[in-house]
Amino acid sequence: MNAIYRSLIILLPLIVLITYGTILITDQDDALVYFEPKEFPQFDLQDLEDREIDLAAFNGISLLNVWASWCITCLVEHPFLTQLSKNEITLIGLNYKDSQVKAKQWLGKRGDPYIFSIYDPRGDLAFDLGVTGAPETFLIFNQQIIGHIQGELNQEKWQSTLVPLINAATMGNQ
Amino acid sequence: MKLLTIALFGCIFFANCLTADAIYEFDNSIEEKRFYSLISEIRCPKCTSGSIASSDVPVSRDLKQKVYELILAGSTDKEIKAYVTDRFGASSDYKPAFEGANYLLWLGPFIFLGILMLVFLSNRRL
Repeated sequence: MNAIYRSLIILLPLIVLITYGTILITDQDDALVYFEPKEFPQFDLQDLEDREIDLAAFNGISLLNVWASWCITCLVEHPFLTQLSKNEITLIGLNYKDSQVKAKQWLGKRGDPYIFSIYDPRGDLAFDLGVTGAPETFLIFNQQIIGHIQGELNQEKWQSTLVPLINAATMGNQ
Repeated sequence: MKLLTIALFGCIFFANCLTADAIYEFDNSIEEKRFYSLISEIRCPKCTSGSIASSDVPVSRDLKQKVYELILAGSTDKEIKAYVTDRFGASSDYKPAFEGANYLLWLGPFIFLGILMLVFLSNRRL
């Protein structure tokens, strides 16, 4: 009996150490933020061209990408977003705390992968979405947010976190 | 020389004006106390660890402004915390409510300590 307790004293902290160690090693600070679906917040904003927002874009699967002309990492992920937009992915932009002129120049210079960009100069919608900076990307399915990525979106993150979520969402609906 | 001294002092005072924090004005000291206690209990979403009171990143500034506006609008502390956690996740509350699944969070260390005590005590008797 004594031997069991003795080994427990050593084993228990060891198990705790290994568990937390694994969590720390596997935890990436810019991976998926949350899984629980959340209703897309209401908003009263126009797009960069001062047009009304077509809410139909939020039906089915779409990506909402938070970007700004002052954002360096947005430049890094821009080629990947352009590549995504050429596939059948609906990409919506959320222009965050930017100037309308600079934002339009940015898109004009580098190409516009978005079907439209919501113009949010004060970050109102972004606040309701829980945006902490740019870039961030939200996965939307039928007006529901089902995924949230902070930081650069690239091929690796797309494959490892967003594709499985898209498959799960569309599979459950068929 | 005199002119230089004046210019230097001018620079110092001017720099002070530039770095001055946002000023939050309240009608009474109760609201002011609530504000400062709330912002020290809300986690800065952009930081590794730290409250929005200790952070000056844009999202923390937005959060402080929102907390300020909600206090002026007459929201309770609980409503303000719910407002923030709805948007930035449950982990943005540094002082989670003592209810539901949070019992485990609050009592977990004591349960763990209790188990350890039992193990040690039974070990001694044998």
